[in-house]
Order: sequence, then C-alpha cells, then structure tokens
Amino acid sequence: MSFGLLSYLAADVGPTVHVAPAGVFTIGGWTITNSILYGWICSIAIVAFLIWVARRVTVKPQGGIIQFIEAGVDFITNLVENSFDDKKVGHKYVPFFVTLFFFIILNNWLGLLPFVGEGFSSEGHPLLRPFTGDLNGTLAIGVVTMLMVYGASILEAGGPLKYLKHFFIGSPLNPLYFVIGLLEMFTDLTRVLSLSLRLFLNITIGEIVIAVFAYLGSIAAPLTALPFTMLEVLVAALQAYIFTILATMYLAIAVNHTSAHPADDDLTDAGVPETIGVQTAGGSARG
Amino acid sequence: MIIADAVNTAIIGKGLMIGGGFIGPAIGIGLIGGNYLQAVGRNPEAAKFLGQALIFVAIVELFGLLAFASIFIVK
Repeated sequence: MSFGLLSYLAADVGPTVHVAPAGVFTIGGWTITNSILYGWICSIAIVAFLIWVARRVTVKPQGGIIQFIEAGVDFITNLVENSFDDKKVGHKYVPFFVTLFFFIILNNWLGLLPFVGEGFSSEGHPLLRPFTGDLNGTLAIGVVTMLMVYGASILEAGGPLKYLKHFFIGSPLNPLYFVIGLLEMFTDLTRVLSLSLRLFLNITIGEIVIAVFAYLGSIAAPLTALPFTMLEVLVAALQAYIFTILATMYLAIAVNHTSAHPADDDLTDAGVPETIGVQTAGGSARG
Repeated sequence: MIIADAVNTAIIGKGLMIGGGFIGPAIGIGLIGGNYLQAVGRNPEAAKFLGQALIFVAIVELFGLLAFASIFIVK
C-alpha cells in the first residue's frame, strides 16, 4: 500500500473510493477500462505461469509453488468428482472447474498487489483495477459458467424438453406443479446474477476497506492496511472456492436429478419404517 | 420538507440501509458458525462439513452485500 500513500494524503476529505471501472484509453471507438486492461495483463500472466507449472509437474513431488498448484488441482478434482453420483460423468467436467477456480483465485490475489487499485492514477482514476472488482468482468464469468452448466445439463438429460421436465416435481399439466415449475425456472435464472454479484461485491468491498484503513492510518498506512490485506487474501481464496463449488452444485443437481430416477423409487421403499402404522392414528389400515 | 432542508437525508438513509442490512447477515452467519461448532463439539467427525457451512455463509452474506450495493442508488 505504500505506493498509494501520497494519493491518500493529497485527498481533502475521506479516502478516494471507486466502485465502477473508468476508461483509460480508447482504441478505434472502444473504451478500454482499467479493469479489462489489468484483466488482460493477469490473463497472460496466469496462462504463462500455469503453462510453466504444467511443464514442471513430475511424479515425485518437488515442493514449492508447483506443489501448491498440484494440491489445488487435486482438491477441486476430488470436489467435482464427489459431487456427482457417477464419478465418470463428473470427471468430464473437471477441467472446466479447475480452470474457473484458478482464474478467479489468481485474479483476486493479483488484484491485492499494492500498485493495483488506488495506487497509480491517471486523471483522477486508478490506472489498474482488479478484474474481479468490476461487475462486467464477474458477469462475464457468471454467464460463461451458467451457459456451460445449462449446455451440459441439456446434454446429460438427452434433450431440452427432458431437461425442462425436471423443473416440475409432478406432471406439468397439474396447475399447482406448473406454477411451481415456472418459479423454479425463474430461480434458476437468478443464479447468474447471484454468482457474479457475490464475487464482485466481495472484492470491491475488500478494496474499499483497504482504502479506508490506509486513509485512516495516514503516515502508517502500510501498517494499518496490512491486517485487512491479509483478511482479503483469505476472502479471495474463499470466494473462488465458493464460486466453484456453487457452479459444481448447480450442474451436479441437474445431472443427478435427471439421471437418477430409479434410485428415487428404491429410497421411498426403504425409507418407510415398519413401525409407522403403530404410532399414527388409523395405523392399522396402513400396516 | 423542513427536515430535508436542514439535514442531508440521503446520508441518514444510507446509514440506516447499511446498519439494517448488515444486522441480518451478521445474525445469520453467527447462527451458522455457532451451530457448526456445536455439531463439531457433539460429534467431532462433523468437522468435515466445514465446506458446506461456508456455502451457507456465502448465501447469507450475499444479502448483506446487496444492502451495501443499494447505497449507491440512493441520491
């Protein structure tokens, strides 16, 4: 945060806080904002770094940063495979979710570097801004994720109509089930917004909290902002994990539900205790 | 009208929105964390469900974040 110290001292009242991205320069009529600029830099860095790691993975563990990436891949692989009833089905979708996890977590962490945010500014706006601290960026991630989830759900269900049928708990001709099914579909569409808003607001609030405490610290800004930066490192990892596991759950629920109807019948048979007839009124008719 | 002339009601509105909007998620996250610790205390094997507790924390937390986002549309 020491890079941003002078700009905090120069401000008259309160810390400078930005919620929306700002344009940095234009190319042929397209405004390039600070968040997409840093997003491009981060994407290149992430791809180069992960290719470098992938070339150095060996059977015998090496330790260091490669070990960390391997542990992350292993963690997400187990998470995704165990969410599905059939592990082979889950294994097909592992690469997407691992990519998602590492893209979000590395973008969040790179956004915490001191020179990002309020550090360097041009014409009153920060020059760089974390990619996940911009609603456009997280909405793009959310839309891509949910398109992939819908596409894979339709493929696993074997057709759009069969996929739509799993929203209805009974026959769609029943008016009550029809309305409930429509409500379920609407709830499903709000997932795009809830996924992207959660990530965007967490990262943006982290930036604001760090900026506020760096401003309060004045001369000792690095000391006062350090604990909250440490907290944000944890929050960044947690948000990446939550985004990944929620996307996995959305896919797993749809796939498991459309492919596991025979198991439901077994559960209803085995789930009824034999003594239920004794304890309820009119039990003799059931028993 | 008189109040609106004397004080900046938007700031009062933002303050109420932040304060009121953060009470609910704070109680909710407290309940989730407390119940998780109770479950672990009764049955230490339940500690493996920390990931599921964190998912519910994220769902509850979203409503507080929405309250925070709403202060930017108050003029």
